[in-house]
Amino acid sequence: MSELPAVSEEEFRKVCDFLYRRTGMLFTEAKRYYVQRRIAERMASLGISVFATYFAYLRGDADGEIEKFVNAFTVNETYFYREEHQLRCLSSDLLNERVRAKRPGEALRIWSVPCSTGEEPYSIALWLLENWPAVDVQDIEIVGSDIDTECLAAARHGEFGQRALMRLTPELIAKYFVESAHERWRIVEDLRQSVQFTTANLMDPAETRRHGIFDVIFCRNVLIYFDDASRRLAAENLFECLAPGGFICLGHTESMSRISPLFEVRRFADAIVYQRPKGGVRG
Amino acid sequence: MPLVRRPSPPFEPSAAAPVSLTEGTSDQRWAAVRAAATRPDGVALLAAALPQERDPRVLEAIFTALARVATAESAAAVAPFIRSDDASLRAAALDALRAMPEASRPHVARLLADPDPDVRLLSCELARGLPEGEANRLLSALIDGEAEKNVVAAAVEVLAEVGRPEVLAALARCAERFAGDPFLAFSIKVATDRIGEP
Amino acid sequence: MVEPAGKRILVVDDASLVRRFYREALERAGFEVDEALNGVEAVEKVLGGIYDLVVVDVNMPQMDGLTFLKVLRRQATAVSSLPALVISTEAAAQDAAAARAAGANFYLVKPVSQEWLVEHVSIMCGRPA
Repeated sequence: MSELPAVSEEEFRKVCDFLYRRTGMLFTEAKRYYVQRRIAERMASLGISVFATYFAYLRGDADGEIEKFVNAFTVNETYFYREEHQLRCLSSDLLNERVRAKRPGEALRIWSVPCSTGEEPYSIALWLLENWPAVDVQDIEIVGSDIDTECLAAARHGEFGQRALMRLTPELIAKYFVESAHERWRIVEDLRQSVQFTTANLMDPAETRRHGIFDVIFCRNVLIYFDDASRRLAAENLFECLAPGGFICLGHTESMSRISPLFEVRRFADAIVYQRPKGGVRG
Repeated sequence: MPLVRRPSPPFEPSAAAPVSLTEGTSDQRWAAVRAAATRPDGVALLAAALPQERDPRVLEAIFTALARVATAESAAAVAPFIRSDDASLRAAALDALRAMPEASRPHVARLLADPDPDVRLLSCELARGLPEGEANRLLSALIDGEAEKNVVAAAVEVLAEVGRPEVLAALARCAERFAGDPFLAFSIKVATDRIGEP
Repeated sequence: MVEPAGKRILVVDDASLVRRFYREALERAGFEVDEALNGVEAVEKVLGGIYDLVVVDVNMPQMDGLTFLKVLRRQATAVSSLPALVISTEAAAQDAAAARAAGANFYLVKPVSQEWLVEHVSIMCGRPA
């Protein structure tokens, strides 16, 4: 196997500066070896031997290169109870704050978008049943949306493999899943019925708007890969679908600082989330 | 099980979008601005609303709408605001132009030659979105004639990312002219090191 | 020079080379350095981490330095009193006054040399420069 091309100090810095500016991910000295290797891997994989050529390719985000590069540093697979700290924040802080804004009998509405094959919205349902005391007295509506109709079909079907369930205890699995095939578990009918799955394109205000107003939105690991104009539009569309005082949670490597100034930062014990300001005008 | 409920019927948003971008509450103007982006006469409406709008969120939406449209006309509507006395308007205009690199392209050379150093400084950022050859040519010409340290610094910041060997001579001349400025000496050295890589 | 012993500084500026210029000087002087490139990110970092001082440029996109300071000073927790060194290109008295009104502890005008920065940061962190 031929050697991977060597990457110099300043080449490493150039890539780090660029990715930090675009995505907010900060690669420090500690990550140097991994970043240099990743650059070399991508160059080898693309058949590029000159760094300047690769860097121009990365800068232009040709063929989604930024996401491809960054993939090596993030866990992209979806599974139940991913980023559990946000779920903790949901039940410890976010919903309690939102409940105070509700009229009697009015449902709390939670949106998972994109929901992929359903792990995230089902996780929210499971988590609340297990961890939120008010779940018995407060109506909750959970919506999962995605642009991919095949993902939605899989989500509605609600069957998952071992890896998707790896963070769940055997007790939870026994309680909420039925083994439907060899090493496949299907989430129980009651929970399948408790999540509404819809198609939605985050870039289309007409599609986002028809979903109504939410108290909490989970929009993880997608916005940061859009271009500038698309991020701003998607952020506006999500803002429009949030109640004043409602919350939006991004992926843990994402930041609104790279996306939009519309939201305010709120720090809770378990997570940093973003909030649509309560008043009509942002101060 | 408490979460089980019949999903609510799909929301039908209330009737027609508001028409006026300059009347009503800020929420109403925000909605009207967003709707304008897809109207055939949208750019004219948005451009007309820009000078009078004071609400930061609505302003942001106007710029976002113009950036979405991304035509020569919409870029031309944004470009003058790079000259605004209001620093946040200048920054917002820059961000909007940055978000539509193709449409902004014809304006960059002129902005980099603007008599106002603040305009030249902000416009260096726009060179980042240009094809590399053009960016290098324009920034190289800029730094050769530039007297303002802050503008040179902004140009070198961009050259540290996009610079090619053809700008090394101009950078060297700059280093000599501004030898007394520790930050400029530092940043020109970094840019030079990066560009000079084989 | 007395070791700053683990004082953490947040450097906020939209230019990567400015952040690097300050970072190298501060790290040589023994400080730990983190960075942010606009006011929104600076708010997130300050809320999510522990810093002894923030060095912030006035002119940044998304949220400028003075707006960041006002947001910082409004916080309900201890972060609201985080010492802030503001750096600006404007030398007029009214700009310094505006910065102080927003909550700046110190106001420096560019160009700021590495020595000048380290000296101010050291003093503000309670260490002799």
